[in-house]
Amino acid sequence: MRDLLSRVAGSGAHPASGSARRDVSGAVLAFAAAAVLGNWVEEFTAFEWSLWAVQAILALSLTLVWGYGGIFSLGQAAIYGIGGYTYGFWAINLVDNTGESITAVLAAVAVGTAFAALLGYFMFYGNVTDVYVAIITLATSLVLFAFVNSTSGTAYRIGDAPFGGYNGMTRIPRITWRLPGGESHELTRTQFFLFCVAAGLLMAVAIRVLSRRPFGRIAVALQHNELRTVLLGYDVRWHKLAVFTIGGAVASFAGALFAAWGRFMSPTVFSLTPAALVVIWVLVGGRSSVSGAFVGVLVVKGFSSWFGGASGDNEPIVLGVILVLIVLLLPGGIVANISRLRHWRRGRASPSRDPAADAEQVSVEETDRHPVVADPADLQRRARLIATEAVTKRYGGLAAVDAVSLEFPRGVSCLIGPNGAGKSTLLDLLSGRRRPTAGAVTLDGEDLTKREPFLRARGGVGIKLQVASIYEALSVRENLWLACYAMPRDIDEANRRAASLLEWLDLRDEAERTAGTLSHGKKQWLEIGMVVSTNPSVVLLDEPTAGMTREETARTASLVRELGESASVIVVEHDMDFVRQLDAPITVLHMGSLFTQGTFDELSKDDRVIDIYLGAHNGNGGPDDGRGSAPSKHHDGRGSAPGKHHDGRGSAPGKHHDGRGSAPGKPVEASGGRTDGTIANGPSADADA
Amino acid sequence: MAPDRIFNLGFDLATTVSILALVSLGLAVIFGMRGVINLAHGEFIMLGAFATLTGTRSGLNTWLAMALAAAAVGLFGIVVERLLIRHLYRRLADTMLATWGLSLIMVQAVENRYGSVTEGIPVPIGNFTVGEFSMSKYNFVLIAAAAAGVVATYTIMRRTRYGLLARATTQSATMAEGLGVNTSVVNMWTFGLGSVLAGAAGALLAPVVGVIPTMGQTFVARAFMTVIVGGPSFVAGTVSASGLLGFIENVGTNWFTPVIGQAMLLMAAIVVLRFLPQGLTGTRLRR
Repeated sequence: MRDLLSRVAGSGAHPASGSARRDVSGAVLAFAAAAVLGNWVEEFTAFEWSLWAVQAILALSLTLVWGYGGIFSLGQAAIYGIGGYTYGFWAINLVDNTGESITAVLAAVAVGTAFAALLGYFMFYGNVTDVYVAIITLATSLVLFAFVNSTSGTAYRIGDAPFGGYNGMTRIPRITWRLPGGESHELTRTQFFLFCVAAGLLMAVAIRVLSRRPFGRIAVALQHNELRTVLLGYDVRWHKLAVFTIGGAVASFAGALFAAWGRFMSPTVFSLTPAALVVIWVLVGGRSSVSGAFVGVLVVKGFSSWFGGASGDNEPIVLGVILVLIVLLLPGGIVANISRLRHWRRGRASPSRDPAADAEQVSVEETDRHPVVADPADLQRRARLIATEAVTKRYGGLAAVDAVSLEFPRGVSCLIGPNGAGKSTLLDLLSGRRRPTAGAVTLDGEDLTKREPFLRARGGVGIKLQVASIYEALSVRENLWLACYAMPRDIDEANRRAASLLEWLDLRDEAERTAGTLSHGKKQWLEIGMVVSTNPSVVLLDEPTAGMTREETARTASLVRELGESASVIVVEHDMDFVRQLDAPITVLHMGSLFTQGTFDELSKDDRVIDIYLGAHNGNGGPDDGRGSAPSKHHDGRGSAPGKHHDGRGSAPGKHHDGRGSAPGKPVEASGGRTDGTIANGPSADADA
Repeated sequence: MAPDRIFNLGFDLATTVSILALVSLGLAVIFGMRGVINLAHGEFIMLGAFATLTGTRSGLNTWLAMALAAAAVGLFGIVVERLLIRHLYRRLADTMLATWGLSLIMVQAVENRYGSVTEGIPVPIGNFTVGEFSMSKYNFVLIAAAAAGVVATYTIMRRTRYGLLARATTQSATMAEGLGVNTSVVNMWTFGLGSVLAGAAGALLAPVVGVIPTMGQTFVARAFMTVIVGGPSFVAGTVSASGLLGFIENVGTNWFTPVIGQAMLLMAAIVVLRFLPQGLTGTRLRR
């Protein structure tokens, strides 16, 4: 899977033009072989083979839509059917008048594409997700099946072409062409075969090329992490629609060829078996393998004629068994598994490099190297004022955020409060992930309240989520590239910036590593880097230092301060050391409302703030963060409340997320699973100091 | 409009809605509780119909045959869950593919056994007349069965020990396991319950539709749309979505043709999802 992905996404910074050349030469060779074979064998045999090429094109449409776009469409066969019927109507009506049926092919593609676009619009702009897409596309095919089945009788006809109901549409002309003023020619069987092969290869190459373009990379990205893709400012809905529509064009083209091949269209093309067949081809060949589409069709055909009985009656059983077995045993598909086997053996031959092995030993030596904004132009960004006006978010009877009015001018602002105070919800309202129940969000006075998240991102609002949201399956470089490409939309610019960001973030050595193998803190750091690289004027950071080492935290603090010089940075944190390092105005939220505001020193003297962190139990043991935080000047008791959070975090990164779901608005004591024992027993270095 | 005409239309509408609820409920239970789409749902319905057919052919009382058929399909569902589905929870697309494979196998196997001719069993009770209109008493049975199915499902989920454990497993399987619930067994019963409901739907529909191996296809599209339009709260969802979509289908069928009724149902469902992607009952969830 991973090698497929890296192939799909290209080699990061260098879109591989060389392999495009290889694709083309491979396709030319394949066509030459087909030309020799097609002229060598019986004309009728070549004609039989055409079906294979046609079906491979249909399979390619699903490879594109599902393998690259991550859209689990079960409707490709239905769009193929639409293409076939449309070709039939046009060709029957045209061929006697104009002497050609090329127009009919174009019409078929146009209608199929339009159908896919319409269906796709409703699905993707309604934010309908995976399974629902599968169900809707399947249900659509079945309704088409019922419809076309019911169209027997002379009432259902377009021009000279009757639908034919369950008997199907007959006497569809073959592909015929004519130059203006010239004679009309019907393609011979061999010509038709070569035409289909050429078309199939052309589309295969086109899909490969497309997949290496930014369009294809974004498609792969949104398949892996749709939320992050949105938050980087990509219009995911449009992208899915585009992929699905192109897939519809390919499928309906295949349908037109099929109608011309068999000169017959039957409504069974809309039934369950053909729909399943397409999926099986692609599964057997491997979801994201272009050549797999061709192989899959061939292999499945071999299987079903081998086991399906002489008359092919048992074909559905064979197909069903293949489906079940693949799902249970070979989820990656046959071709992908063979290539994985090959890689595995190759991998054993070469000295093994375990990415997990060098995972932990990074970073520490670079402690004092504070990141500098690499591009001086970045400093020219104009900070913008993001504000909320009495913004409220309710879940049923609970107000997670209750009439909060805040302004965040240029510079760093901190947002603190116990679990359930509404901090993350507030950030979600700012980034657009959630819509407020009441109130407004404005950016420089402009009302953002109803704006889509990706548009806010384009408008300069970047967010780092509480749980690091990166492309775990892609390399670090690809992660950054996607972030860098979002705004300028320029490949060279994105390559350049991704490279300089790798330097700047000090992730050079990890550039080609899969981001999912990074340590927790490094993932956070990478995500911050991605947010920064979209050049935001408002930066929202939700617990940026969770899971970071002390050095990483310090580095993040200096990065945040630096960002604050040019942008509005809003930081949600539990780590009070970090908050103090930022030396920024602090807003305290409690139970969804604005509690108080002030500087760190003011708030740390405020007993009410300590109370909401500690609940009834005041004055526990001294704070211990387990990381020996240097600038520790809090007095006993006062610092202990925040320190506690801090403590849980330092010892077990990510642990503190556990208590999250519990009773919002309650003080920490009551909701967390932490015992007082841990705190009391810890070495109270800070308190003693 | 004459009162008998109004009654006829209302009765017809209630029948359409009830059939929709019947064929969707089993799917909704499995999807709502386990997040699994059983693409073989239509074939489970078909199996219920064929089991009823076999029962009546061997001389059983129709009602008894129906009850046995539902139980048999439930048993079959449990076997399928143990052999197949169990390995695939949390792999949504894979579950769909595997159950799809199962559905292809089931259709062909039944066709090999029974042939592809349309079979029928006699409607067990006769007609009644209101004004000028003669209507089948059996439709009362369908309406009552749909209502009973909804109430029974609700009661099982809310009032029984199994229901509590099943809901706990849905909320957080990890937490349920931590509290000592054998979630694997709970999942098995959930799938079995959905299968019983699908089998019962097939059994009840056997007298009024043609019993053929491909009959599942005629119901699944509608059942799928009802379930996803219904949304996560599946009992309320099934009832509300059956009501809405059944009404639309009924109007389309009465004014045009049954096929147009189905097409209108589909289009209405897609439009609803465009604006309520979580379905009719989805707005109560956190988004």
